[in-house]
Amino acid sequence: MDEQPQQELPLPFPEFSGDLPLMPARMVNEYQYCPRLAYLEWVQGEWADSVDTVDGRFKHRRVDRPGGKLPPADALDEGDRIHARSITLSSNRLGLIAKMDLIEGDAAAVTPVDYKRGKRPHIAQGAYDPERVQVCVQGLILEEHGYRCAEGMLYYVESKERVRVPLDDELRALTRRAIDGLRFIAAGGQMPPPLEDSPKCPRCSLVGICLPDEVRYLRQGRIEPRPLAVARATALPVYVQAYKARVAKRGETLEISIDDKKVQTARLIDVSELVLMGNVYVTTPTLHELMARGIPISWHSFGGWFMGYTQGTGHKNVELRTAQYRASFDEPTCLRLAKGLVAAKIHNSRTLLRRNWKDDTLDPKHLLDDLKRDQRHCARVDSQQELLGVEGSAAARYFGHFDRLIRASGAEGALSFDFNRRNRRPPADPVNALLSYAYTLLTRAWHVTLGAVGFDPYRGYYHQPRYGRPALALDMMEPFRPLIADSAVIQAINNGEVRPSDFISAAGSVALSPDGRKRFIAAFERRMSHEVTHPLFGYRVSYRRLLEIQARLLSRYLLGDIPDYPNFTTR
Amino acid sequence: MHEHLYIVAYDIADPKRWRRVFRLMKGYGEWLQLSVFQCRMSRTRHAELIALLDGIIHHNHDHIVLMDLGPAEGVKPRVVSLGKNFEAIERAPIIV
Repeated sequence: MDEQPQQELPLPFPEFSGDLPLMPARMVNEYQYCPRLAYLEWVQGEWADSVDTVDGRFKHRRVDRPGGKLPPADALDEGDRIHARSITLSSNRLGLIAKMDLIEGDAAAVTPVDYKRGKRPHIAQGAYDPERVQVCVQGLILEEHGYRCAEGMLYYVESKERVRVPLDDELRALTRRAIDGLRFIAAGGQMPPPLEDSPKCPRCSLVGICLPDEVRYLRQGRIEPRPLAVARATALPVYVQAYKARVAKRGETLEISIDDKKVQTARLIDVSELVLMGNVYVTTPTLHELMARGIPISWHSFGGWFMGYTQGTGHKNVELRTAQYRASFDEPTCLRLAKGLVAAKIHNSRTLLRRNWKDDTLDPKHLLDDLKRDQRHCARVDSQQELLGVEGSAAARYFGHFDRLIRASGAEGALSFDFNRRNRRPPADPVNALLSYAYTLLTRAWHVTLGAVGFDPYRGYYHQPRYGRPALALDMMEPFRPLIADSAVIQAINNGEVRPSDFISAAGSVALSPDGRKRFIAAFERRMSHEVTHPLFGYRVSYRRLLEIQARLLSRYLLGDIPDYPNFTTR
Repeated sequence: MHEHLYIVAYDIADPKRWRRVFRLMKGYGEWLQLSVFQCRMSRTRHAELIALLDGIIHHNHDHIVLMDLGPAEGVKPRVVSLGKNFEAIERAPIIV
């Protein structure tokens, strides 16, 4: 290699120019590991931390400190020793930029050393391909800059071992193929398929975003999904609805005080979202910290009306939003999605009636049959108008019998819950008030979830966009209304968590008292943490996490990854 | 990603570093006693906390131990507690 002139790189791509960003050499590593991972990270801007990434950053802290000098190749004299840390070099021809941990050597040849967190793998080639390719990329970039480079080095921090990686023709060819492939997918806009039942997936930090097994299963229906994407939510929402409350950041915690008296602290790492009801005062440093951490804040009126939410700079996945808008202008796609959502909602309403029927005097069979018919009818409608009609009649049937799910209060003289029909704006009785409140909470949950996954909650398929209406959140919510909101209402009433005395009525409208509201939010959140078995994938998952999985599946459908959007129904 | 319950105890020689460690620990767990915290952490959080603590302390003068009590969900930590009660951290939404 030493005496030969620099060879031409047979790249089919033109040199990077204009404002095309250079791709980090790390992406070539990711591509070699899994093309879909590289696509998600580079094209869609997705990122998630895992133990490996956090620990990797920690193990890298020493080599990330710049040190030593790397003189230009033509200024190198015989006998010059090079020992330079954290050097960034790029190559327009390769379209890559690399931050090299350590460069060693002399005028004759330099060696890039890449630090790896773990132990040396005991395999024939000394290291896995992605790592070898990554160090080869660094070598290629160094050669572009005129240095001579015949080998790279991998240093394994945990076992303190070095592995030599000769940059032979075979590795160079593999690396060029990976660079080509990466540039191709970056330009192509087509997401590569997930790996098949791969042992790489469980340790991949993006597994919850990629959904490899779920996508494979929905495409071919062959392999059973492993419960990779269903990690328990470690962060939970914080609700502040108390009068005169104030939220401030103190160190790594949020401090909630009422009238300057501390009433509660919440560790920032345990907060998934901050929900503020009424005129709660939040300090600017708190807002900054929450935005920096990507924790959304949703703002509601004291009565629960959802007014908006605050988040940082928003999600980077612009490709998804483009696909979302494109589909929303396509009538057949809209109708197809809407039909599925309404049918799933009627199915779930029916299940809720069947499971919670409390009235022994009336046999619900007739009603359940009617609902089944409505559900089948959904598949045959030709327009959104007709679908609205079907949904309306199913809802009338459902709410017409909703009071039979409520346990009659036994105690004499105690107020009981009366429910005749669904009404709102303002709700005229306690059950309607609870239902409205639960729908607000659920809309918020969907709104935040869709925002976090990268959707624009305001452009939907069934609900038409209207002033201030989060149409997509309302769309996605349809099948979950009975499962989460209605069910939380029934539980709160039947368990006696909310009593008729918790309501304040004024001029024909009814509202929850602050204390009753607090207890009802607790019941709602308990429902959100409830685990259900997913009917398609067979694993158990909490509703909280399920909303995200469903949102991601919708994104997979809109991006053409899976043939249809699978709605969630329970048995 | 399942969470484990940890007891973190530290001995910091310098008051300035001690305060920094204390402030950081408050963000990761519940204060139990002087220089002792209980934390409920996933593996990712555990790695994060170690990295942050390592950045603060002086390796020759200070000492921190993180003791794993086992999975936080379901397993009851075998702890003898005299005087005050020891209650393992539960995870629940906060409603004020």
